[in-house]
Amino acid sequence: MNAFLSWSILLAPITAAVLIGLFTKQNSKLSSKLSIGAIGFSFLMTLLLAAVNSGTPEIPVTSSVTWLEVGGLKVELGMIIDPLSMMMLLVVTGVGTAIHIFSLGYMKDDPSLGRYFGFLSLFTFSMLGIVLASNFFQMFIFWELVGVSSYLLIGFWFERKPAAAACQKAFIVNRLGDFGFLIGIILIWSITGSLDFGEISGAFTENPALLGASTAIAGLLIFCGVLGKSAQFPLHVWLPDAMEGPTPVSALIHAATMVAAGVYLLCRTLFLFELPTSWPEDFAWLNGVSSLHIVALIGAITSIMAALIATRQDDIKRILAYSTLSQLGYMVMAVGLGGAAAGMFHLTTHAFFKALLFLGAGSVIYAAHHEQDIWKLGGLRKKMPVTFWTFLIGTLALCGAPPFSGFYSKEEVLLAAYQSNVVLFVLAAITAVLTTFYMFRLVFVAFGGSAKSESADHAHESPSVMTTPLVFLAVLSVVGGWLGIGGYFGHFFDHGAVHHGHHENQTVVMFIGIGAIIFGFFPAFFMYHGAESDPLKKGLGGIGEFLKNRMLIDEAYQWFISRTHEALARLADWIDRWILAGFLVKGIQFTGEFTGRALRLAQTGNTQTYALLFGLGLAVALFVILL
Amino acid sequence: MSVLTTIIMLPLIGALTLLFVPSRHKTVVRMIACSVTFLSMLLAALTFFEFNASDGAGYRNEQITPWVESLGIQYHVGVDGINIALMLMAAVVGYSATLVAKSITTRSKEFHVLLLIMIGGVLGAFASLDLFFFYFFHELALIPTFIMIGFWGRGENRNYITFKVTLYLSLGALIALVGLVMLYVKAGAGSFDIVEITKAVQANPISLADQNMIFPLLLFGFGILVSLWPFHTWAPMGYGAAPTATAMVHAGALKKFGLYGLIRIALPILPDAAAYWAHIIAWLCLGNLLYCGWVAMRQKNLNLVIGNSSVAHMGFVFLGISSLSLIGVTGAITVMVAHGFLAALTFGLTGYLADRGKSLELDQMGGILKSMPAIGSFLVLALMAGCGLPGFANFVGEAMVLFGSWSSFSMITIFGVWAGLVIGAVYMLRALRRALHGPLASNYEGVADASGIGAKAPYLILIVFLTLFGVFPRMLTDKISPAVESSLDLMKSTTSLTVAEKLNTDSADQTSEAPLAAESNSRGNLAESPQLESTQG
Repeated sequence: MNAFLSWSILLAPITAAVLIGLFTKQNSKLSSKLSIGAIGFSFLMTLLLAAVNSGTPEIPVTSSVTWLEVGGLKVELGMIIDPLSMMMLLVVTGVGTAIHIFSLGYMKDDPSLGRYFGFLSLFTFSMLGIVLASNFFQMFIFWELVGVSSYLLIGFWFERKPAAAACQKAFIVNRLGDFGFLIGIILIWSITGSLDFGEISGAFTENPALLGASTAIAGLLIFCGVLGKSAQFPLHVWLPDAMEGPTPVSALIHAATMVAAGVYLLCRTLFLFELPTSWPEDFAWLNGVSSLHIVALIGAITSIMAALIATRQDDIKRILAYSTLSQLGYMVMAVGLGGAAAGMFHLTTHAFFKALLFLGAGSVIYAAHHEQDIWKLGGLRKKMPVTFWTFLIGTLALCGAPPFSGFYSKEEVLLAAYQSNVVLFVLAAITAVLTTFYMFRLVFVAFGGSAKSESADHAHESPSVMTTPLVFLAVLSVVGGWLGIGGYFGHFFDHGAVHHGHHENQTVVMFIGIGAIIFGFFPAFFMYHGAESDPLKKGLGGIGEFLKNRMLIDEAYQWFISRTHEALARLADWIDRWILAGFLVKGIQFTGEFTGRALRLAQTGNTQTYALLFGLGLAVALFVILL
Repeated sequence: MSVLTTIIMLPLIGALTLLFVPSRHKTVVRMIACSVTFLSMLLAALTFFEFNASDGAGYRNEQITPWVESLGIQYHVGVDGINIALMLMAAVVGYSATLVAKSITTRSKEFHVLLLIMIGGVLGAFASLDLFFFYFFHELALIPTFIMIGFWGRGENRNYITFKVTLYLSLGALIALVGLVMLYVKAGAGSFDIVEITKAVQANPISLADQNMIFPLLLFGFGILVSLWPFHTWAPMGYGAAPTATAMVHAGALKKFGLYGLIRIALPILPDAAAYWAHIIAWLCLGNLLYCGWVAMRQKNLNLVIGNSSVAHMGFVFLGISSLSLIGVTGAITVMVAHGFLAALTFGLTGYLADRGKSLELDQMGGILKSMPAIGSFLVLALMAGCGLPGFANFVGEAMVLFGSWSSFSMITIFGVWAGLVIGAVYMLRALRRALHGPLASNYEGVADASGIGAKAPYLILIVFLTLFGVFPRMLTDKISPAVESSLDLMKSTTSLTVAEKLNTDSADQTSEAPLAAESNSRGNLAESPQLESTQG
């Protein structure tokens, strides 16, 4: 039963994608029905799976197929159904269904709607594959498939140059992360002889020192994959650019699913990070630092950096993109500090309210004829009431205002930081202030005041096919904290239970969290309520420009790449053209007594001569070898 | 008569028949050419899917017909898991190329005759178990290649390129021939039969000095044919100038001859030299993987990007071979098969554009995906398969190579991962973006897309096989790996103990990089999984 259910959850979307790709691409209606039907079916099956297994904490791993077996390399396609993957399944299929339906309205005039839904289904399949994967190799396969389907979705409007550039960047940056990930997988396999999560963690329980000096390195290599998919510093650069894709795509991959895959991988392979850390001799200076410390630090850096940049962005989707980066940093930091339950809890609530915010932004963009600059919107509160109120709910949830879902999950994250590391906690609290600031800046400028452009003036509420998913996600954003998701994860990761003991800490953190909202809200109110232009532009001067230009990180990469790979490529190309293909012919001749004549002949540019001399030269070389 | 003989003879008989068909009957020419290659493909597919590795080791569908008995030359064909996969690939590529050859308008009959000879030659080379016929069939395929490039090729530099390709490939074949003849002499079996020679050297191995003399001849001779760095410069420009069908069969199938020769002949017959030269192969393959990848990044012509990437992919095969491990060599053969389909697909697609008189310079391309959805999406699939996307057979092969070579050459494997995941993605996606994305280039206005199943068929067949083996890799690997295993066992049992000891003292300080040193010392199984080695270490 479980086997059947979990396989049908996984295979429904790919069936739809294949059918659309082969037969119904030209037929928008049928394609969209197939795609929505498939994810709806997966959602129902997930609910059924959850219902059948409610009350059983450990759901047995279902059947598996041997996909590849050569010598010591055995790859199975298996299924893991446990609380961790169960909740992810619910998020991916549930939020995914809402986004699929929203797309029906948002994309209805696009001539390639069939292709769009085909890609959506392909993406859903790949994402579900990551969630269900029972071993590293299977994880990597679906990891790559998620990469390519997001490439296709970001570049959906490929005839626009920025979209074509953005999808390429997303794919290549993700590949940089996968580089470490794959080496990590090979390393772990070469030592443990297995790829299976269960077998490997079992082997570690027996012998925690199995990986020897590579323990920390192996963990960090796997973490490279997380850096790419979950867009952590320094591989975060692809996510803001990826906003060139259709807005529902941003909601699906850049809020609820793909970017969550990294955090999910981190939690799935937590057994690797919890091993006693040891470093090779060359890294002896790192002794005492565990791989989880580095994970937490990267998460904290990402969250504060992205929050700072978000305060100076003017594009509604880019603000949300940087906000997503910042919240992903929170989750990674929480896992790094031993609060995996907090991280996963925040991942779940974040999927609700960030998908809601992106879809709300989509509704605004749809109504304002693809105007995305918040300084050209304004006055939408009255014109689009449903969008406004749901967007406000999403904003409050993101800021962590009680009693919205974000309040509970963010508090857990802050608590994890508070109990482990004061510096990271202070950074996280500042991030919380900034979050409230930039989100209310967005709300005041885009929804408040008066319309600042003609397209905003003509805006009106979106059709119900778009507002219904908004309301659905708004409800989840409100009640998400009360459903016991935090406790659900807490039971799964042993650590969760420990934190709940400290009531004092909890109260302190709660007050600091609410304080952060107040400190963020009032500056935003005074600066942006009814504002016509951005007072920060002059106020911050050079720093403001620095933030607006995304801290110049993209430029730094450009510079670095053109100095390394581009230079190597130019060199290789030059050698190929002038030495291997051309000059080598001359070079070999220096040994012979015909040097003078040969050089003069060679300079005639007669290609036959080149070739002949080359042949003679190699014959000489052959003769030498034979001797 | 073996079914293999039928598979080989069908295109050759087709070529012979065409000679008697008047040139003006173009439809008849096409019908004959397409039907013989189709039948050949069908038989190859049947033989492949009927092939059951669990029936035991050894060759199937053998046929031995003595020819020159005084020299020990006989017509001997037979397949194991390795060459049946290659024959299937070659037959599919051959049929697809014949379909594409429709676009040839001048002297179409002569072109088809040459193409069929080439296809028959490739199939024969893969099926032959006799050194003489192995080499003869390769030459049979190679000579038409030169004529086709010279006569039907495209581009201003055609003559120069034909000359260069001919020179390189003839030279490579010549060096390999010297090596093969020496092998025949030194093995002392008095026979050209590969099976006989293998048996003979097992009882009486070739001395290390002789092995070390013959092996480089085979390595570099075959290496030039496969565009091993730094002998690769003929390949990208050669494929750019060759007519579409020729480029498909050469890059897809004929090029794998050299690799097949290394695996089938050099490894089991010259095991000590193979172990000795494995390091050199591994380092040279970085030239393919990294250097040619960088060169591909700089190309401004789509065909040159693909040509260089095709050279770069050969690096994975060389890396897999140099690992001398079951996983690595199985991976190498999987890459050979997958790359055969893929190279034929990409050159077929760029040929579609070039045959319509359109420039393949990237700055004159753009937006093709919108205006030509079928050709455009095929090209997207091909480029994605080229940068190692799961779902295509290339991914499986490349992954196996990387897993298999880790324990022997971890540093080189890391570079290989970098080349496969990052550099490959950079040049493939750049080309994709400039050729397919963006607004439609004026040069490409009004170019007709492939419409109807007939026009799409040559590409679809190749895509079907790429994805079939990509999604169900065991269809391929379950046949290949037992054959590789017995070949490596053979290699192990042929290694003389003295040689193993010598190797061990030579490289005692770098055991981590010497795959055979540690293993042959303990007379361990070459095909052992790496985890066992690391626990020993």
